[in-house]
Amino acid sequence: MLPRALAAAVLLLAVVTAHAAEQFSFDAAEFQRKPVEFGGYLEFKQNHFGLNQDGALYLLNNYNQPRESLDQSTLTFKPSGKFRYGGGSLNFRAHLEGDWETREFQRTTRFDELYLSYKPDPGLTVDAGKVSLKWGKGYAWSPVAFVERTKDPNDPDLAREGFTLLTADWIRNFDGPLRTVAFTPVVLPASPDYNPDFGAGRHVNIAAKLYLLYHDTDIDLLFLNNGSRSRRYGVDFSRNITSNLEVHGELARIEDVQRQAITAAGEGVPVRENATSYLAGLRYLTERDTTWILEYYRNGPGLSETDMRNFVQFVDTAYDGYLATGNDAQLLRAASLGRGGYARPNPGRNYLYLRVSQKEPFDILYLTPALTAIANADDRSTSIAPELLYTGYTNIELRLRAIFLNGGAGTEFGEKQNSRRYEVQARLYF
Amino acid sequence: MSGGARYSWRGMLAAAMLVLAASPVFALDGNEILKKVDRNLEPEAYEMYRKLINIEPDGRRKEFVLYSVKKGRDKIVALFLSPPSDAGRATLRLGDNMWLYIPNVGKPVRITSLQSVVGGVFNNADILRVDYSVEYNAESVVEEKDSYLLNLKAKTGEVAYDRLKMWVDKKVLLPVKIEAYAASGLLIKTLHFKEIKDFGGGIRRPATVETDSPLYKGHRSVMLYSQLKKRDFPDEVFTLNYLSRVEDLRK
Repeated sequence: MLPRALAAAVLLLAVVTAHAAEQFSFDAAEFQRKPVEFGGYLEFKQNHFGLNQDGALYLLNNYNQPRESLDQSTLTFKPSGKFRYGGGSLNFRAHLEGDWETREFQRTTRFDELYLSYKPDPGLTVDAGKVSLKWGKGYAWSPVAFVERTKDPNDPDLAREGFTLLTADWIRNFDGPLRTVAFTPVVLPASPDYNPDFGAGRHVNIAAKLYLLYHDTDIDLLFLNNGSRSRRYGVDFSRNITSNLEVHGELARIEDVQRQAITAAGEGVPVRENATSYLAGLRYLTERDTTWILEYYRNGPGLSETDMRNFVQFVDTAYDGYLATGNDAQLLRAASLGRGGYARPNPGRNYLYLRVSQKEPFDILYLTPALTAIANADDRSTSIAPELLYTGYTNIELRLRAIFLNGGAGTEFGEKQNSRRYEVQARLYF
Repeated sequence: MSGGARYSWRGMLAAAMLVLAASPVFALDGNEILKKVDRNLEPEAYEMYRKLINIEPDGRRKEFVLYSVKKGRDKIVALFLSPPSDAGRATLRLGDNMWLYIPNVGKPVRITSLQSVVGGVFNNADILRVDYSVEYNAESVVEEKDSYLLNLKAKTGEVAYDRLKMWVDKKVLLPVKIEAYAASGLLIKTLHFKEIKDFGGGIRRPATVETDSPLYKGHRSVMLYSQLKKRDFPDEVFTLNYLSRVEDLRK
């Protein structure tokens, strides 16, 4: 009886031990590198917009079809991949999007990136094709991002479309206070057929970035020659002051900025001037795992309060004219001016950005609530966005967000098309 | 005369050795033990694969697989291979400087040692751990039956944990358990080193590190090691510009 009991106990112990071993087994062989890689995500987003029926941008977009709200369903597929051969690779990231909005259906198909990469050694890489470069240290804005599409401060982490260019990366490391030097030259041709949205005319644009890690501080010196865009110089830095406090900044000098100011009567006034943009920010992590990101942004070539007020007054006058006569020519002209600057995100001169996020509150793993506030410091209008992000299901990211725009007549956020926005987003990675 | 003097020195040396042997407290140098622990855990330059498992109180798990390379005493890079939602993320540490690269964002951002890129009990300092002897001084050593207890104090305020209590197996000079404390004296987490395994190339170390924390009651995190081997890399690998290409180092 005793031997049987012992045998049973040994067997039980062996089973338990085997189970425990199986519980934590890991063999890296299944993660060996493959010559072809494929990944990406599928995203579904549902938006409900509460429209701001007094807003200038609402009037421009809805003057002939008044409504109180809009709903939009968006399905986005972003596959990405890499094919390796020898020291080179072909890389791509595609963007396929369908937007079902109350008024219409729109679709977008493009490559955000598609380029050949050659790495003869770890200190040198050459990329040719459509590449999305990311310059600058700012979180919400980056005035030194000379060869990029503009970042959306509401979604600064979103992947953006690149430009077709030739670039290289040369890296050297040293001992001593200067630990790293990296040089990144860029050649970006632009014409009406090639990179048409980079700027006007036919130009071969030359840009460069010199990166230094000096005394534990990241420093970039940046340059873009006079071509499709006017000549500009920049410098940025980022540094940890303590283990939980990072400070960063950017400064850009832009020569010969051209913009169209308008009078309240809608008369265009071309303005040419040199402008300086800068940004100062910090990122602070508290003992309770709350992250604070605070930034001040001075948009040198931005619109003054007077410009904004004139634009709004012009739209109001044009709308009154449309109501009286049915002629929308002035509204269409105002819409054209809007696309040229007034209706773009954050066209003003002085902004404040604050984002507070709390990692895993109340011991709820993978949950991150956050609150983002963007304020136009001149007219004191604001955008306040609370959100919840949950990443607890493997390969699934869920986000709930609301955006409330506040501001009086004639202010930036008070004249937007929406006053409220509610968003549900689910992303499945593969 | 000279022969007498030589004998006298020998006698003094023998007497000193006897005294040292009879008083282990004087013989033990905590910092020397710590340096040996560092080299026994990993070679100075290596590559390795790790799986991190976060286990919630209800048994639910989230797993991450990382490929890491290290050079010198304070240069380390870790690349996420799995799950797909995190694949391609890379973290770099150069001394006290840490950065995170997220493929979609594309721009490396500075992070801190106390943050966690994976959530759960492991923070960035655990994932991008440099040699213990780089960050800590041994203030005292207590000899116990089978282990040495090293009381370690952080060299600077930049280090994630102000104090460590490290129990080191006397025979193999590998850690058995580490308790990590904040400057306030609060116990932040306890690491348990288990399952000593031969990785080849003279590397023999625990293949499993289990972590629990009074700050995350009921949660556990486990780190499993695989394919740890010596490998040297050029310095250029440990730079911000290289973070998007770490994948190319894998064979």
